[in-house]
Formats: sequence, C-alpha cells, structure tokens
Amino acid sequence: MNFFPESNSSIALEIDNLFWIITGVVGIATVITLFLFVYPMITRKKKRTKIERYMVDFTHKHRIWLYTGMFLLLMGDLYILVKEHSIWQRVEQELPEPDFKIAIVGKQWMWEIIYPGPDGKLYTDDDVSAINNLHLPVNRVIHMDLKALDVIHSVFLPQSRFKQDVLPGRTITRWIKLNKEGKFDITCAEICGLGHSMMRGNLFVESEEEWKDSMDKIYGIKK
Amino acid sequence: MTEHKKTGFLKRFFFSLDHKDIGFQYLLTAMFMAAFGGFFVYVFRYNLAFGPDDIPLYGNLAAKEYNQLVTNHGAIMIFWVGMPMVLAVLGNFLIPIMIGTDDMAFPLLNKISYWTFLLSCIVLLSGFLMPTGAFGGGWTMYPPLSVSDFGYNNPNTTFKANFFTGNTFFLMAVALEFISMLMGGINFIVTTLNKRAKGLSLMKLPIVVWMINIASLLFMFSVGPLIAGTFMLLMDILVGTGFFDAYRGGDPILWQHLFWFFGHPEVYVLLLPSLGVVGEIFSTFSRKPFFGYKMVIFLVLIAGILSLVVWAHHQFVSGIDPGAANIFSLLTIIISIPFAGMVLAYLGTLWRGDIKFTVPMMFALGMLASFTFFGGFTGLHLGSNVFDIYAHDTYFVIAHFHYTLFPSVILGGFAAIYYWYPKFSGRKLNKTLGKIHFWGTFIFFNSIFIPLFWLGLQGQHRRIFDYSNWDKLLMQPNHIMARQIATVSLIFLIITQFIFLFNFFKSLYKGKVAEKNPWKSNTLEWQASSPPGHGNFALYPAVYRWPYDYNHPDRDTDFLPQNEK
Ligand code: HEM
Ligand SMILES: [Cu+2]
Ligand SMILES: [Cu+2]
Repeated sequence: MNFFPESNSSIALEIDNLFWIITGVVGIATVITLFLFVYPMITRKKKRTKIERYMVDFTHKHRIWLYTGMFLLLMGDLYILVKEHSIWQRVEQELPEPDFKIAIVGKQWMWEIIYPGPDGKLYTDDDVSAINNLHLPVNRVIHMDLKALDVIHSVFLPQSRFKQDVLPGRTITRWIKLNKEGKFDITCAEICGLGHSMMRGNLFVESEEEWKDSMDKIYGIKK
Repeated sequence: MTEHKKTGFLKRFFFSLDHKDIGFQYLLTAMFMAAFGGFFVYVFRYNLAFGPDDIPLYGNLAAKEYNQLVTNHGAIMIFWVGMPMVLAVLGNFLIPIMIGTDDMAFPLLNKISYWTFLLSCIVLLSGFLMPTGAFGGGWTMYPPLSVSDFGYNNPNTTFKANFFTGNTFFLMAVALEFISMLMGGINFIVTTLNKRAKGLSLMKLPIVVWMINIASLLFMFSVGPLIAGTFMLLMDILVGTGFFDAYRGGDPILWQHLFWFFGHPEVYVLLLPSLGVVGEIFSTFSRKPFFGYKMVIFLVLIAGILSLVVWAHHQFVSGIDPGAANIFSLLTIIISIPFAGMVLAYLGTLWRGDIKFTVPMMFALGMLASFTFFGGFTGLHLGSNVFDIYAHDTYFVIAHFHYTLFPSVILGGFAAIYYWYPKFSGRKLNKTLGKIHFWGTFIFFNSIFIPLFWLGLQGQHRRIFDYSNWDKLLMQPNHIMARQIATVSLIFLIITQFIFLFNFFKSLYKGKVAEKNPWKSNTLEWQASSPPGHGNFALYPAVYRWPYDYNHPDRDTDFLPQNEK
C-alpha cells in the first residue's frame, strides 16, 4: 500500500521523509506506552499485598517513570524540530532567484493563471491569462505570486506537497521547483463556497521544448 | 436543608434550581443536539461514499447543503454537544456533591445559564429556516466567506435582509452559547472555592473537580478575544463595517487569530474534564491511589498556559509570517511533554492495579488509548510546520482531531454516564448492553477514522462535496473503498447508540435499584443516597483525607471514604 501520492519535487520527498521521521519517534513512544497500558491489564489477577498496591505518588520510586518518559519524549521532540527546521527555512523563508515568474489568482470557482507574456515580465500589458491550466518548465525555479479575488482559497498542489492560502487584497510570493514531467493536480484546500469542490486545475510540467511550445500557443504566437 | 418535595416532571424539568436537575436538562439537551450532529454526519458521509442521490431518510443532497451540514455538524458537536457534556453536565452533577455541599453558589445564575443555552440551540437550528438557508462556511467561520457567500457585503441589501441569514443566526447562536458557558464556568469556580465541605482542602479535591475548574478558567481566559471577534464579524454582516475586509482596511487573518486564540484552548476545555473522569474511574477500578496527583495538576496547569500560545499552528500556511510559524511549531511540539507526563501518571495508576473491567472502566481505557495513540501522537505530525504544509486541511487533520474530540466528548462522556448513573438515577444500567455498546462504539469509531488518516495522506482535502474531479488522485478503487468503510462503520456506530438509548431510558424506570456506593468508591457523592435528595446530604459530611485511599495498608477494606477518620 502506498501512503503518499506520487511526488514531483525534491522538497516533496523531504516532506514525506519528515513524516516517516516523526512516525519513527511516535512509533517508539507507542511501543513503550502500549506496554505500560497492556502489562497491568494482563497481570491484573496477580495476588499483591496492600503495600504493593498502595503506591502514593511522591513517596514512591515509580515516579521516576514520569521524568524518564517526559525526558525521552523531549529528546524525540528536539530531534523532530531539528530535522524540520532547515526544510521550513528553504521552503518558506527563502526565495531563490527565479527563472520564471507567474501569478495565480484564486476566484470563485476557478484558478486564473497569469503568464508574463512574450516580454517575460509579469504585470505588463502583454500578460496573458488562462483558466485552470498551469504550464511550467521542469527543473526551473518558478516564482508564483499568489492572490485571491473574493474569498480565501488555498493553492494546494498535492504531488508537490505545496500549499498556501491565498487572501483577497494580498500577494504572497512563493517558489517551487519541479523535477518530474507530467500532468498533476491543482486543488483548493480552503472552503470557498458552493463551488469549492469544482476548483480543479491542472499542472503540466513539461520539458523545455514542450513548454516553449505551450507558451507560444497560450500567447497566440503559434496555433 | 430543604425537604425533597415531589414535583411534576415538567415543572421540575423547567423550573427546578437544583444542580442535579439542571445537569439532567443539559444532558438531555446535549443528547438531542447530538442527534442532529449525528444525523448530519450520516447524510454527508453517505454522500461521500455512495453519491448524493437518494440518501435514505434524506433524499438528494446538493453542494450547498453539503457545506451547511458539515458546518453545522462541526459546530453542534463542539459547542452544543461537547461543551454541555463535559462542562455543564459534569460540572453541574458533580461539583456540588463531590465537594460535599447542597447546591451551586448561584443556583439562579445556573438556571439562567441553562435557559440561555437552550435559546442558543433554538437560534442555531432556526438558521436552517432562513431564506438563505443555514450557514455553510465551515465551523471556523473564516471571513470573507462568512460575511457573505461572495465575500463582500452587497451595499444594496437592507439590514433586515442581512439579519435573516444563516450567517447571522449562526453567529448569534455561538455568542449565546459562550454567554451561557461563561455563567456556568463562573458558578463552578465560585462554588469550588467557597462551598467545600469542612476539611476538604484544594489538595484533597477529586481530580475531576480540578479538571472542570481548570477547563472553565481556560475557557474564560481564551473566549474574550473571540467574543470581540464575533461582534466585529456580526457588524461586518449586518452593517458592512469591513473589519475583516482587506479591500477596506480590514484583515481576514485577524479573525483567524481571534478564532484560534480561543479555538486551541477550547479543545483542551473539552479534553480536561474528560481526563478527570478517566482519572476517577482508573483509581476506583484499579483499587489504587491516583498516581502523581499533584504532578498531574501541575502538568495540566502548564499545558493550559501553553495552550494559550500555540494557536497559530492552525495557520502555518494561512499567510502569517513564516518566521513566527517556527515559534508556534516549537511550542506545539513541546506541549506534548506535559501530556506525556499526564498519560504516564495515569498509567502509573493502573500499574499493579486490581483492575476491574466494568463498563465505565472500559470506556475510560478506550478513551485514554484512542486519545493517546492516535489523537496525541498525530499531534506531533501536525505540530510540525513542515509536514503541516501538506497535511493542513486534509483528512489527516480530520482524523487527528476526531481522535482527540471523540474520546474526550463521546467516550469520556459515556464513561461518566455509566459511572455516575447509579448515583443520580438510583438505578443500575444493564451491564451486558453496556459492554455491547462499548465494543460497538470503540470498534466502529476506529474503523471510521483509520481509513481517513490514509485518505488524508493521499491528499484528500476536506469540506469537499464531490471528489470525482480528481479521478487519478482520489478516485482509485482503494480510495472509494476507504470512504465506504468509513461510512458503513459510521452507520453501525449510529445503530449501536440505540442500544445505549434503550438501556439509558429503560433503566431509569426498570433498572435494578442501586445501593449508595455500588463501586465502593471514596469520593463524597457516594456517601449521599442514590439518588441524592434535594440538598444532597442529610448531614453535611466532614472530610478527613484525600479521595484516593484505596488499599490503604492500615485498613481491612480496600477503600476508605473521604469522610472517614
Ligand atoms: C460520530 C462520528 C463522527 C464522524 C463519522 C464524523 C465525521 C466527520 C467528517 C468526515 C468531517 C469532515 C467533513 C468534511 O470536511 O467534508 C467532520 C467534520 C467535523 N467534525 Fe465530525 N464526525 C463525528 C463526530 C464528531 C464529534 C464527536 C465532534 C466533536 C466533538 C466532531 C467535530 C467535527 C468538526 C469540528 C468538524 C469540522 C467541520 C468543518 O469542517 O467545518 N465530529 N466530521
Ligand atoms: Cu475552495
Ligand atoms: Cu490547536
């Protein structure tokens, strides 16, 4: 059984990997806790003296359980925090130089994609907009200006493990770099009204030549 | 102390000021609302598994109705089932009698609290009768969608048209519910501080009384900002003030901060009283002192304080500053430490215990197990800001928070009902039916939500009426099967609850008569008669010890009530 859908970026693999790291920490904690849960149940019939049963908290040596347990989990927590930190920084706090820039506008109930047009610059007169179909070149750093028109939407690219809420009145710039060609999904992850479940877009990741071709078609240079 | 007079059911139901009667009113009202919450979830889950047409008992479902049902299911389960069940029902039934007094500090305020609550239920449900239909923007009410379906106020609509909308009624209902719970919470705290029996110091209080009080405090600390927010949002809807409208100087994210500043502590408000119940039950049915009593109280206080500063883990990708997200991730992951300590202390109570598998004990064990293994541990996954980029607003989150809320509200609630039923009704529930009810509830609950974890990892996002747009991603045979397993399990889960209802109401009249202290427990309520009369005790008890002297080495019996020297 596969746990995650196919992935199309190296960040996606790192996020999946982080999931397994956390699951590992949790797994160890589960085994210990499960033992403490089940052992008293299966030995419940054992004859014990009252002194053995009368374990009153802070006089009893078993309180060391609490400290050890909390300490072990603290170690696990720190391990998770260390592992996640560098990923978060690269994904959310840094913006590598872009090779290409586009804008995505969420509106009820579609994704408007704004391409920079033949001059390669966004927000100039020759910008071209398209609905729901996003063509991107493989292995390039892409900047996306993310916006919403009416209510909050959320750009969710499941195969890239990418998500960002988009807000009316704001532009949020994020980057992405995809390493696999193919057709992928764009979904909306924030409830946005009646048509929320119709906000489906397609992400086409294409080789350099194919992508130039698609751009020419979108710009009307080529039929 | 007043004589217990026989009064008619209706009169007693509506006008009695007795804390037990008010507790019972809350219980019946919560069960009534749970029927709505449960029916809604049945309808929309049926749709997710088998499509929107010809849903038995409902008919055809439209996208708009799907959103309305999801929204109201969530809100009802949290505010109209969870809050009354763990705060109002437990607080009212237990606090006065467990601290050895006759009633609440302010019985009339208590009554007003219930009436306000009832009013809030009516206001919420009348939302469905509005011309625009019930509110359907998610129980989190994120503006601008919660202001209007299209995100802005149409300047041409009248105040009246804005008033008679599902949105307005939903918000008013939530505000009324807050007011009601505030009145209840004040009552609990004042009662606990002022009306304790002679000799009952704070460090001799039953853990459940501690937990209800801490939960009430937490609720009071956190709800203020949201009341302000609710008022602002109401104004945005009614007169178009634009507090949350980015095009007019407002900010939609502001609402999210106000909401989650309350919303995160809120889930602990639902959890803590339930953990208190589990603590009482563990100690009683392990015949052992509660392990780490002071430590647990201390850890709960730490967790409570921390819970006020983790709220933005619901907003890692909502457009807040990514640097701030690091801090919230850190705090969220660290909050696992006090909880780990608490769970271990609870397991310390079981250790070497003379464990008795009674029905309340089974529910309590089920509560702690499902909360810890699936609810708590997946909290670490979601506390990680990086993994949350992917998991946010998917079914992974749905499964996670149901694994915290369902044990808190439903399993913990049933544990409490089975445990204290003999006391408050004077009769016993049928054990066999209780066990069937437990196993049905526990098994089907797990088989609903385990598939949903997997669907979440597959990328299934939430609040979606129809997944057929994502044929490759989410419509493979195993996805469809996972949804169907969850839905069929839900139907069985609901059927199982009829066993409980039957047992509950039949035993009220026909159950075996319960003695004073059927579980041989130590806390004061077991020293009153079953059911306790008006005023609870014939003689106010004096307290000489803490509540957990089970298997005391100096005694022959394995229990030692708090009021024995
Ligand atoms: C009885 C079994 C239950 C089942 C099968 C169930 C199922 C679900 C499902 C599938 C959703 C997500 C729907 C969607 O996003 O499209 C949902 C939402 C929700 N549920 Fe439950 N639920 C149950 C009980 C509860 C309980 C006991 C609580 C709380 C005490 C609760 C609180 C919520 C909340 C807050 C939401 C979010 C609503 C929203 O998205 O606005 N549920 N439930
Ligand atoms: Cu949407
Ligand atoms: Cu939270």
